[in-house]
Amino acid sequence: MDEDLMDILCCPLDKHELELEVDEREGEEIIAGRLICTECGEAYPIEDGIPNLLPPDMREDAPA
Amino acid sequence: MGETDPDDHRMRACVREVYDEIASHFSKTRANPWPEIEAFLDDVSPGGLGLDVGCGNGRHLALVADRTDRALGLDASRALLAEARSRLSDVGEVTLLQGDAAGLPLAAGTVDVGLYVATIHHLPDRATRRASVDELARVLAPDGRALVSAWSTTHDRFDAPDDGEGFDTTVDWTLPDGRTVPRFYHIYAPPEFDADLAASDVAVEETFVSSGNCFARVRSDG
Repeated sequence: MDEDLMDILCCPLDKHELELEVDEREGEEIIAGRLICTECGEAYPIEDGIPNLLPPDMREDAPA
Repeated sequence: MGETDPDDHRMRACVREVYDEIASHFSKTRANPWPEIEAFLDDVSPGGLGLDVGCGNGRHLALVADRTDRALGLDASRALLAEARSRLSDVGEVTLLQGDAAGLPLAAGTVDVGLYVATIHHLPDRATRRASVDELARVLAPDGRALVSAWSTTHDRFDAPDDGEGFDTTVDWTLPDGRTVPRFYHIYAPPEFDADLAASDVAVEETFVSSGNCFARVRSDG
């Protein structure tokens, strides 16, 4: 994802702003990292350039 | 939006898992854009931010990208997003997001052109379906416009009584190896679709039925 996407992304749960933590980037493109809600603290992973902003209990690793 | 029932989230996670499983085959059968969507996109003012909620393999996302400065594709299924990425590798300003239609991860008033096509019928209950339309209303810019569609009881494959009521069902997807994977659907009766849209936060411009689907052209109510 491009870093300038931060202007329009928000937490899917409480709609507050997100903070970007970058693990890997290629120019403007964030390849890996996480988006952390400045209000509730929920962390949303960025993997393979695509942020996973599903609510935590809809994620792949959520307990069934 | 308040607390959501955990069972409800589990069902939506199941729909996501189904599409993760069938993504590659599903994508091969979803090549051509719908004429209703091309007509809608022809009518919107070009430019701004586009959003395709439930973008699947991205078959409509390239059209959105043609009409807007930047197109966002959101889907719950990672595998479908991977299909979209390989399909759209030569299309300009396209960004893919994994997310839930009933809880959009976008700031209010940002989207100029929205598609919410053939997706709402996968949400398991009426409250969640209505909440998802409220979410669309929230993210639409004051002059933003969107097209919503859902599978309807008027489709040839359903032998439904014409009583104005929709119904829940599962529709099997058959993989090339013969295995079938069930997908949850709520099949909308047109009056019910109109009522759900009218009860939501969007301003409805018009609703119509075409090719077995209910459609609504909507605006932000702001």
